[in-house]
Amino acid sequence: MPKKLPWLKGVFPALVTPFVRKTEEVDEEAYRRLIRACLPHVDGLVTSGTTGEFPYLNRGEQRRLVEIGLEEAQGKPVIAGCGASSTQEAMALARDAKEAGASAALIVTPYFLHPSDKGIYQHYYDIATHVDLPIILYNIPQVMDAYLPRTVVEDLADLPNVVALKDSSGNLTYTMELLEYAGDRMDFFVGHDEVVLPALAGGVSGVILASAQVYPEVWQEVIRLLGEGQVDEARALQRNVQKLSRIFCRYGGGVAVKAALKLMGLDMGPPRRPLKSVGGALIHETRAEIRLELEKLGKIPVEETPFEYPSVPLTERFGDLEITPDIIAAHGLRVGCGVAGEGLDKVQIDLIAGGKQTPLGDAYALQLTYPLHGREALTTILEPALTVRPATLLLPVLPQKNLRQANMIYGPTQSALARAIVDALEAGDIPRAAVEDEVMVALATVHPRALDRHALHQSVHAAASQALAQAFA
Amino acid sequence: MGYKTEWLRGIFPALVTPFKTGDHTASIIDEAAYRELIRFVLPHVDGVVPCGTTGEFSYMTLEERKRAVEICLDEVAGRVPVVAGTGCTSTRDTLALTEWAKDAGVAAALVVAPYFLKPTFNEVYDHFRAVDEIGLPFILYNIPQCAGTHFRWWTAEGMLLDFDNTIGIKDSSGDVPFMEALFEKVKGKVSIFVGHDEVVQAALAAGADGAILASANLIPDVWQRVYRATLEGDLETAQYWQQRVQKLVRIVVRCGSTQAVKEGLCMMGLEVGDSRHPVVPGGAFRREDRDELRLQLELSGVDKIKKAPVTLDLGHKQVETEVFSTPQTPRTISGFTLKVGEGFAGPPFTELAHVDLLLGRKDGPVGRAIERSMAGWGEERGLRIINERPRTLLVPTVTLRTAKQRRLFYEHAAEGVNLAIRLSIEDGFLPEEILDDVVLIVNAFVHPAASIAKRVDFNNYKATRYAIRKALEGRPTVEELINEKAAARHPFRYAP
Repeated sequence: MPKKLPWLKGVFPALVTPFVRKTEEVDEEAYRRLIRACLPHVDGLVTSGTTGEFPYLNRGEQRRLVEIGLEEAQGKPVIAGCGASSTQEAMALARDAKEAGASAALIVTPYFLHPSDKGIYQHYYDIATHVDLPIILYNIPQVMDAYLPRTVVEDLADLPNVVALKDSSGNLTYTMELLEYAGDRMDFFVGHDEVVLPALAGGVSGVILASAQVYPEVWQEVIRLLGEGQVDEARALQRNVQKLSRIFCRYGGGVAVKAALKLMGLDMGPPRRPLKSVGGALIHETRAEIRLELEKLGKIPVEETPFEYPSVPLTERFGDLEITPDIIAAHGLRVGCGVAGEGLDKVQIDLIAGGKQTPLGDAYALQLTYPLHGREALTTILEPALTVRPATLLLPVLPQKNLRQANMIYGPTQSALARAIVDALEAGDIPRAAVEDEVMVALATVHPRALDRHALHQSVHAAASQALAQAFA
Repeated sequence: MGYKTEWLRGIFPALVTPFKTGDHTASIIDEAAYRELIRFVLPHVDGVVPCGTTGEFSYMTLEERKRAVEICLDEVAGRVPVVAGTGCTSTRDTLALTEWAKDAGVAAALVVAPYFLKPTFNEVYDHFRAVDEIGLPFILYNIPQCAGTHFRWWTAEGMLLDFDNTIGIKDSSGDVPFMEALFEKVKGKVSIFVGHDEVVQAALAAGADGAILASANLIPDVWQRVYRATLEGDLETAQYWQQRVQKLVRIVVRCGSTQAVKEGLCMMGLEVGDSRHPVVPGGAFRREDRDELRLQLELSGVDKIKKAPVTLDLGHKQVETEVFSTPQTPRTISGFTLKVGEGFAGPPFTELAHVDLLLGRKDGPVGRAIERSMAGWGEERGLRIINERPRTLLVPTVTLRTAKQRRLFYEHAAEGVNLAIRLSIEDGFLPEEILDDVVLIVNAFVHPAASIAKRVDFNNYKATRYAIRKALEGRPTVEELINEKAAARHPFRYAP
């Protein structure tokens, strides 16, 4: 068997395994839909890998996934994930894969009981010498809690059917060391979506990735550009998918991939328990972030929300608080407005301040009893347990439609408003008497598609500083 | 061969080093505060340790360390042994300081494993062999949390037995199997001290000769009880006191030990200032840890923060109460029109509590807001009156979407809030005489992914209890805000 297989390069998605809601049965139709969707942009498929939740699948299910993969692959190679804790079981899975017609077996480092390096060698040696199928070693210390030792790889590379290694560690010092010691005898695949470009530049032959079922065409293009020496263009592509790749790698794995696919119209169902679709490794806030990134990549249509920045005279902008121009005049309430930033980063802050015993005190208390869905007012804090003074409510002007939009308000907007207030306190612009006697409410108009938290922070800080300066002039 | 002394046993506080507050870029040792601290602990301890890890030795110049040891020797005046921390990262500095300490008259040196560049075992061994040649009795100090290297039992055994002047080892790792190996190898030949506050009773019961502890600045008397009871074979009493202070010492050990001890002492009225930078208030010792440490210091039997009279000026009437007071607690509290308090407690992330609380007069904006909301949109939007004295409105900050979220909110979060109110009534912050005059609005939330009911309950209890105190005491102050603004890290400001 030749050590370097001509087909073993390019882009391979580590397919998720779709499950039916409630019953948790494998959803074969959904699997076929997924394969058909990504097949045009991939060089082969990987079934029941880590993204495919292999530890939750039984032997029959894993074999069935290989069969479906082969039926749908239109002649492209199918690599069967054959990971197991015990050698005997991994060997059985590899035999199944061979019989079904898979092109190779991807075999993860044996896990849980932490075998020694000798045990790890023996594991792969037994499988490689008993099953006549190309073997791909698989290093993924994030879930295995151990690296596949380099010296073991170095020795395994001498076996005729150990053809490649997939390194999902993201640790390029490890990848480079393997290339140094075994690069002449086997191929390497990068399995960590965040370091695809540097790994390819370092000498790996291809990618096996969770994200290769969401944006396989990006990775194909990165490989092509790099092959043609267009490094700057390849960098730009990698950077454009960096955040989403990071979310897949670190904040949910297969669960996050399923959430992305669902947003794209490919419902792969829930993960098997104990994993949760959302609320476990993938939290609600991150799921909302995935949507925005998919919009950015053009994978789903952008939700356009028509809106306007408030433009009526300043004293008429506080109607939500039942504060009229007459009340402002009668009680000597302070008002100020600030606008800063451009495009998606444009922010307007309309601020009102005044005595606790004026109608503004009533408005302040009332706002905290009036949870307007999507427009909840919150106390302004520098960070948790560091409330600013004078006590200030932050009230979003536009309804927040999802947790990500809410995060923009209660994260960067709140933080920047708090800093602007404490800056004004420090500079003496807010009189010390106001700290105890007054309250403030800041109405914030933030673009619903604001994306760049750092730019937003800068805009809010500038706008709030203007508003405070005007109010306390 | 090392040897065992008569005196190296019992409870030794790892003294904090007080620094004068003010310009943190040029702080100096606060000698008066240091002497006061030593006088505070002295009746309860068997020795003292200046310039240990808790003493911030790594942030002090060699000259400052010498000065601190001198002050300590002078104030102690021979009543108990002084064990000076003389370890440095280089052998050269360690030798210079240990030589000096020998001449200054300390009983022994506590020498930390050389750190940062992670020397190998034989390099560590030779470092201590050089110290041994000075001729001052010394104690090996294993603290892998900071030093980055963990002694193996065989290196410790070698150093303890090969050298002439080793009289003991302090193990701060909390690694009980390591300590048991030490007992197996060197028990009776040198003193074995535990330095991890969470396992003191276990270590003493297993055979440790004593303890050198950060928390012995705060509660030397409690540790003396644990030590004495263990010596007398009264394990039940020793266990009782360890468990009584377990939460207190867990905060000290895991949440920024130096700053935690210092803020604890400040709350007790011993003004020892803050840690030197880069340790900052609200850093590893978070504000919620501070609030919790305060409650733990108030516990009966611990009794480190005591009640003092406070006047609540409601405008139309004045009420005298007694509350657990720190130097920050105002003697008169007014401004009951509307007070704002915020409380935060976690982990875990999905069960953390973040409470925005309003406290004010029933006939003011807070009272009017409660009546108006309950007459109007209250029911529809999920508001509930959960207590009548004081009248308390619980408001969900985030819309409750699922039955599970509603159950966690109305049963468990509400129970936590009510417990906080009951205990605030008991501890005097909400005295009986004002319960018909003031009302509360409590904004709380339950994360959509929250699961653990007990944590939702407990975190909301803690957050509400902290929020009530902060509203009344006017915390954070403007000075705290200005000081802490630059380093503040808003958790939701950054992208995933």
